[in-house]
Amino acid sequence: MSTKNQTASFGAKLGRLARDNSVPIMFILICAVCIPLAGFSGGYLLNEIITRMGRNTFLILSLLIPIMAGMGLNFGMTLGAMAGEIALILTADWQIWGIPGVVLSMILSIPLSVGLGLLCGKILNMAKGREMVTSYIVSYFINGVYQLVVLYMMGSIIPIAHSSIKLPRGYGIRNTVSLLNMRQCIDNLWAIRVGGVKIPVLTFLIIALLCLVILWFRKTKLGQDMRAVGQDMNVARDAGVDVERTRIISIVISTVLAGFGMILYLQNMGNISTYSSHSQIGMFCIAALLVGGASVDKASIGNVFLGVSLFHLMFIVAPAAGAKITGDSMIGEYFRVFVSYGVITVALVMYETKKRRAKASLGRQLELEQKGADK
Amino acid sequence: MNKSRKWLFRAGALLLLILVALLMLWIGRGHTVYFDNKTIEHQGVEYKPPYKVVVRVNGEQVAKLNARERGMATWIGQNFKMELEVTWEKKGEAVVRSFTQKLPYNMDGIVLNLPALLNDFPEEVYLSEFVPVATEAEEVEEEIITSEFELSDL
Repeated sequence: MSTKNQTASFGAKLGRLARDNSVPIMFILICAVCIPLAGFSGGYLLNEIITRMGRNTFLILSLLIPIMAGMGLNFGMTLGAMAGEIALILTADWQIWGIPGVVLSMILSIPLSVGLGLLCGKILNMAKGREMVTSYIVSYFINGVYQLVVLYMMGSIIPIAHSSIKLPRGYGIRNTVSLLNMRQCIDNLWAIRVGGVKIPVLTFLIIALLCLVILWFRKTKLGQDMRAVGQDMNVARDAGVDVERTRIISIVISTVLAGFGMILYLQNMGNISTYSSHSQIGMFCIAALLVGGASVDKASIGNVFLGVSLFHLMFIVAPAAGAKITGDSMIGEYFRVFVSYGVITVALVMYETKKRRAKASLGRQLELEQKGADK
Repeated sequence: MNKSRKWLFRAGALLLLILVALLMLWIGRGHTVYFDNKTIEHQGVEYKPPYKVVVRVNGEQVAKLNARERGMATWIGQNFKMELEVTWEKKGEAVVRSFTQKLPYNMDGIVLNLPALLNDFPEEVYLSEFVPVATEAEEVEEEIITSEFELSDL
């Protein structure tokens, strides 16, 4: 009898584990199928994963704090990315190269990110419970402002000297800005090679530092307030937490970190796609985090690392696997776009279903308690 | 923490950031230095270029110039240091000379005329600003592309 119970409880545990980690499991399966089809060597895959991990992890980590404060997936991180891009354009025009250029860009991005984060936080406070869709739309709104600044104000109001950055008409920024003199300056400093795999030590140290800061931050008064706000805003307010201020701070921190992350990302790439780099960033960071097993209300550093590895592994192998199966590499391209958007949709639907189920079960429990009290 | 101390910390942090930014602006200024191994005329006298000049920056060879050739190197900061291995005549002996040059902050590209530099002429003779000429490709108006939903390779 007890063996039967143990088996049943093990089965239930396994089922729960599979249900809770359905997205990472699905991705592991996809990768397991695609890797042999793609035919890449282990060394190549590892090299690519490590490069992409160094490039993207900082950005994805910036999403953790708003989740902690119960504000869901911050699509508004795009705002920070835009601030980072503006700072990089200015730094590139002032011809500040190498690591000083990266540091200066980060400093320049701070006031822009703080301003945009404050604006976004205030708007999100007016749309409590609908933060994700609101931040998504805010990012479109600010994208319009960004285009106005970059396309019309830079070169005419904001001085831009170099013709390699400025459009020939005399104002506006070109589609692509070269960061050749900054390219991989952080990744290459202290980089080591292990069996042909390049490990960007300094980049990983920066990421590790951010992870430690996040862990420390959770234990601070502000971090505890954010967690309290994330669990229940009304209870937190009754406990004396300034809910609105705490929520705004979480968005400001996320935006500033996203700005830094974008600068790290672009120094690795070596150029800025002025009008499109940021529009993709929020989407793929959120997709990567969800692939790592995070949800709208819960995410950890482990989810970030697992997500970035699995998501990018899929990104690397899908086109080659698609080409092998169908003879057309575009199928693989479509597949990864489909999966990226699909995983966000599935995660949002799963979150909503879970929330409704919890609400329904609470309702049933209350009903039973009421009936018991009546008897 | 009382309010005035809090503001003091904030002002201190802001000041620190501004100072770091200024420092980065100073130490991170990049320049492209061009080396011209070309004849120069100074006070009515023509100075011929050496047969061959090897330019080393940070111990790395960046240019090997025969007469009438131009080389280039990139440099971050204002104190440019280079080593020249000069061979004046064909099959002649190479002489190594080191130079330290203060680069003007406001110049992106700087041309150093090597014969003038080797003859110890004043700075205004051997140093000039490189003014790039816009290429045809740079002059062509480009179409601005703002894609929203496309997820290309990341």
